[in-house]
Amino acid sequence: MESVNKLGRILMVEDDPKDVELTLTALEDYNLANEVVVTRDGEQALDYLYCRGEYKTRSSGNPAVMLLDLKLPKVDGLEVLKQIKSDEELRMIPVVVLTSSKEEKDMVASYKLGVNAYVVKPVDFHEFVNAIKELGVFWAVINEPPPGSVRK
Amino acid sequence: MARPKLQAQLAHHPVLRYGLATTSSAIALGLALLSQHYGFRNVEVPLFLFAIVVTVWYAGTGPVILAVVLSSLAFDYFFTEPRYSFYIRRSELPYYAVFVLFALLLAWFAAIRRRVEAELRQARDKLEIEVAERTQQASLLNLTHDTIFVRDMSDVITYWNHGAQELYGWASEDAIGKRSHVLLRTVFPAPIDDINAELLRRGRWEGELRHVKADETQVVVSSRWSLRRDEQERAVAIMETNNDITERKRREQEVESLNQELAKRSTELESINKELEAFAYSVSHDLRAPLRHMAGYTELLQKKASSGLDQKSNHYILMMLESAKRMGDLIDDLLAFSRISRAETQKTMVNLAQLAREALAEVRQDTEGRNIVWKIGTLPDFYGDRSMLRLVLVNLISNAVKFTRTRAQPEIEIGCSEGNGNELVVFVRDNGAGFDMKYINKLFGVFQRLHQSDEFEGTGIGLATVQRIIHRHGGKVWAEGVVDGGATFYFSAPRPQGELWRA
Repeated sequence: MESVNKLGRILMVEDDPKDVELTLTALEDYNLANEVVVTRDGEQALDYLYCRGEYKTRSSGNPAVMLLDLKLPKVDGLEVLKQIKSDEELRMIPVVVLTSSKEEKDMVASYKLGVNAYVVKPVDFHEFVNAIKELGVFWAVINEPPPGSVRK
Repeated sequence: MARPKLQAQLAHHPVLRYGLATTSSAIALGLALLSQHYGFRNVEVPLFLFAIVVTVWYAGTGPVILAVVLSSLAFDYFFTEPRYSFYIRRSELPYYAVFVLFALLLAWFAAIRRRVEAELRQARDKLEIEVAERTQQASLLNLTHDTIFVRDMSDVITYWNHGAQELYGWASEDAIGKRSHVLLRTVFPAPIDDINAELLRRGRWEGELRHVKADETQVVVSSRWSLRRDEQERAVAIMETNNDITERKRREQEVESLNQELAKRSTELESINKELEAFAYSVSHDLRAPLRHMAGYTELLQKKASSGLDQKSNHYILMMLESAKRMGDLIDDLLAFSRISRAETQKTMVNLAQLAREALAEVRQDTEGRNIVWKIGTLPDFYGDRSMLRLVLVNLISNAVKFTRTRAQPEIEIGCSEGNGNELVVFVRDNGAGFDMKYINKLFGVFQRLHQSDEFEGTGIGLATVQRIIHRHGGKVWAEGVVDGGATFYFSAPRPQGELWRA
């Protein structure tokens, strides 16, 4: 399938296994789940991006999009966002904050740090699935990722 | 006194003065001739001198010269050998010269004495006037409520007004003659030498002093010192004007301690607010996640197994999903409500009419297809936070829309009524389901509902939100209602100095 060939890699940073499972389930319907890399905290996410630690040997290249939770163990989402956006190599990666927090201060802080989108996870599963699908389709299929992003 | 009076009269009449000179000289001559006729000897000299003295005393310098000349001529003509001739024999010359010189000397001395006396009198008059003035000033100083006393350069009190007596409790006879700093046990705000240096340099000093009164209580005064100099620019006295500021000081200290208390409370409140914020954040983030999972997995279960489940089981699944949705709504409403208390209000002049139009647009999807009669009166401008006030109108209007759903001819009125002058009142009235006034105290409570949820949906947070917003604007909310007879909701806000409201 041509569309599959054009798929971008999605980096998901989410500490809650249930959220991971539900998100992957939602992406499966669009065959988007295979290219999702899941990291479980901020440190792991940065390790992935900098190809270090357990990701030392991964194939190089940036993800086409990063789905970032804010409340994360070790390094929290805002800190990860700050590091990415202040790094010359990484700042082009589109970052979507995907969080439960509707708090204005989180939104303001994220946008100030240069986030590309801010999505509040809907409680309703239908809405949640739709939101994830639309995000996946938009960022991994429709959007032209910056040069240097990994494609399948 | 007769003498000065006569002198004063003569002084203004030259004819009288010179007349006196002529007359006294003539009388002296007459008496001298008379005594010579009766054989008395050497009487003429004292008589002429006496006439000269009288003249100089009563008539002054000009007339005495006339008297001296007349006396000299008369003495020469009648009493100097050869007699009855103005010729003076050589041997008589010294005698005559001595007479004239003696007359001149006498006139001169008398003139000096007269002048001195006049000067003295003048000085005394000036002094009397000054004393009168000073007495008047002193009695004026006594009238003022200010505490005023005067001390000389060694701090000895020379004047003590009534105000000083009232403040310190010392009578002026107790105070005058005492050293002021000793009597009042003055505590200075700076070294006294510095204060005195400033006083001498600038001629004045101001500051706060502590004094001890006669009854041993302490008093704080705002003190002003003025230096008085004499004509030679020597510092001679200090006038000290004091105002009792003990009470003001006490109040200031009270205010300060209240401020400190307030700052403490404010810090406490701030930390409580922070905790509340953390709590709200945690509710927002952590409570929502498991809810989402419950809903998510239930839905996955429904998708996977619903065909194999009986009707009742499917109903259970549906109820689980509904409950999860409701809890999500409750969390959202509760968070929104707590945000209203935490958010800073950004107040501007808000056009309520415009805001009402926006609120109507927002509830449009609930009003479509319904035959609602809207009555929108003139609305005032309101000083407040625009987004919060918008929420107030949206809540009240959507309530009215909701509770008129059962009416065939729903009517909703938005208007403004005059308050008690210092406030303006806005109301939203409907002819809907209304409520029983005995539950009025539950109406504005959080999650309080007066209708069953299958009758009218809702979380019961709307009116609580309205109340909190209006309270944050310094206003009041209240309502009137009749079961099945409609309800009216009012909110008001103070109109400070008439500036914040424009009708």
